[in-house]
Amino acid sequence: MTASQIIFYLISAFILSMGVLSVTSRKIFRSAIWLLFSLIGIAALYFWMDVQFIAAVQIVVYVGGIVVLIIFSIFLTQQSGKEMPKAPLLRTIAGALAVLFGFAFTFLLIDQYGFPAIDQPFDNDVARIGNAMLNTEQGGYALPFEVVSILLLAAMVGCIVIALKTKPEEK
Amino acid sequence: MWSLSNIAANIDQWLNANMSPTWALIVEMVIAGVAVIGLFAALGLVLVIMERKVSAWIQIRLGPNRVGPKGMLQSLADTLKLLVKEGMTPGGADKLLFNVAPFVAMIVAMLLLAPIAFAKDFQLWDLNIGVLYISAVSSISVISILMAGWASNNKYSLLGAMRSGAQIVSYELSAGLAVLAIVVLTGSLRISDIIQAQENGWWLFKGHIPVIIAFIIFIIAVTAETNRAPFDLAEAESELTAGFHTEYSGMKFALFFLAEYVNVFIVCAIGATLFLGGWMPFHIGNWHAFNGVMDWIPSSVWFFGKTFFLIFVIMWFRWTFPRLRIDQLLNLEWKYLLPISMFNLLLVTLIAIMGWHF
Amino acid sequence: MGAASLIVLILAAIAFSAGAILIAKVVTKATKNKQKAEPYESGIPTRGPSWVQFNVGYYLFALLFLIFDVELIFLYPWAVAAKKVGLLALVEIIIFFFILFMGFLYAHKKGALKWK
Repeated sequence: MTASQIIFYLISAFILSMGVLSVTSRKIFRSAIWLLFSLIGIAALYFWMDVQFIAAVQIVVYVGGIVVLIIFSIFLTQQSGKEMPKAPLLRTIAGALAVLFGFAFTFLLIDQYGFPAIDQPFDNDVARIGNAMLNTEQGGYALPFEVVSILLLAAMVGCIVIALKTKPEEK
Repeated sequence: MWSLSNIAANIDQWLNANMSPTWALIVEMVIAGVAVIGLFAALGLVLVIMERKVSAWIQIRLGPNRVGPKGMLQSLADTLKLLVKEGMTPGGADKLLFNVAPFVAMIVAMLLLAPIAFAKDFQLWDLNIGVLYISAVSSISVISILMAGWASNNKYSLLGAMRSGAQIVSYELSAGLAVLAIVVLTGSLRISDIIQAQENGWWLFKGHIPVIIAFIIFIIAVTAETNRAPFDLAEAESELTAGFHTEYSGMKFALFFLAEYVNVFIVCAIGATLFLGGWMPFHIGNWHAFNGVMDWIPSSVWFFGKTFFLIFVIMWFRWTFPRLRIDQLLNLEWKYLLPISMFNLLLVTLIAIMGWHF
Repeated sequence: MGAASLIVLILAAIAFSAGAILIAKVVTKATKNKQKAEPYESGIPTRGPSWVQFNVGYYLFALLFLIFDVELIFLYPWAVAAKKVGLLALVEIIIFFFILFMGFLYAHKKGALKWK
């Protein structure tokens, strides 16, 4: 095994073990923290693959944004410190079976696909993404880029409507 | 000329001449590891004594003056004191997360050192998304604060952590927009490209008023992001004792303290790199004689000089402005800084595209 | 040095922190008693659970932050390309900002940016 492979397996083991911890932990805040480490592991995997822009996006959006949001919403609940009750046996077995089937299904798909290997070095320049994003000609992504802002606008309006709705009930 | 850049190149050459590439890489990794640990320790000692001396100077008093010449060894003595203090974990705390949090803070502070150019050609990793890497990794630091605050099982800690959480995430936005102004002017995220673009003058002087506005917004935002006064309401002593690290003692407290100071150093280094040219000496356009004289000063001296100047400015803020309330703080960001920096970015773009900058 | 520097930095940080904590553990003499382990030792005893509920204001700001954070991510590739693409880039970003600014005005109007 080369050093690169060893690092890949170490990162994957880290991601998987943190994922398992986050599902099995019985304190909700701890779950969020394990999820965070799992997401950082995925960013590490991107760094390992040398797609640095995607890695940075992964960290900014998921680790710095979504996990912070999850933690804030945990603090919004009253029981951030309480241990959750242990899941009943039936549910545990059903969960394990679902995981097993899901894993088998994905494994089969990946195994049959047969990924073609590409020898040439990977061009991960950010300027290329930017140029494609601003290109208004055939094959450009100028329209999706503008649509994203409408999507963000909708998200913003939605979150304000939902978050401010509780106000009359407080009084 | 004696400079850090030659040392790095010489070591690399010597190692590759005498060893196989794998071993050369491993030895380089060890050297880099020892160097960053040394830098961390040195920064902690220097910045703490600097903070105390600057505050003493501003308040017209002597400051620490007993240990060593003019009190210069005071922070070393403080470190020794912290080393022999017992590191406690409160009874009701979540012990695991309580002990992991200082490690996270340290790892984040350490990772931020990777793309910083300390001198010409003296950089750990000149990755092609340098600036984005900095803003991405620094966004993790809020997690260590939330972790520490929650795990302590103390209301002061949790309130402090929550306040700094809201503050850090808000000010990240305007810091990012201010950084983007320079990215637009340079057309690259790579730190070395950004420094190279300032060869004929620093962006602060080349980019007219919009860049100056971006610089001011950047300084305000990073002061808030590093939880320093006047934005230190996360650890407002009079209300929350010490904020998120109230329950920490001994070395674990020292690690948080150190990470905080290293973060101040890093954001100032980034500010110096983006707006003041990093290690680039003070050049004026085509004045070759003048530029030649400036080149005599080693690049590392330029870098550390600019960085410590910015650190001094941030320390100066602490004794000049009164602490904000949380509503004022969030108002300042969301109602003023964010719209202004968005509009400012458009102005900078116009300048960059029309080529109006020097 | 490339990506290997990240490994070095992580290991260095762990070694530094663990070393400091271990040395401190060796040289200090720890005692245990119940009062010492109380939250905010020797202060006023805490009333009720420490893990309190926070108001929705923090959550709202986190949501708004996330939206602007995603916007910022889209701006990075744009910023790299903008200078070469020229005025077209400026026009596109003005449209982008204009739409977002509508949302910003809406938030302002609804009082979402006000701390309660």
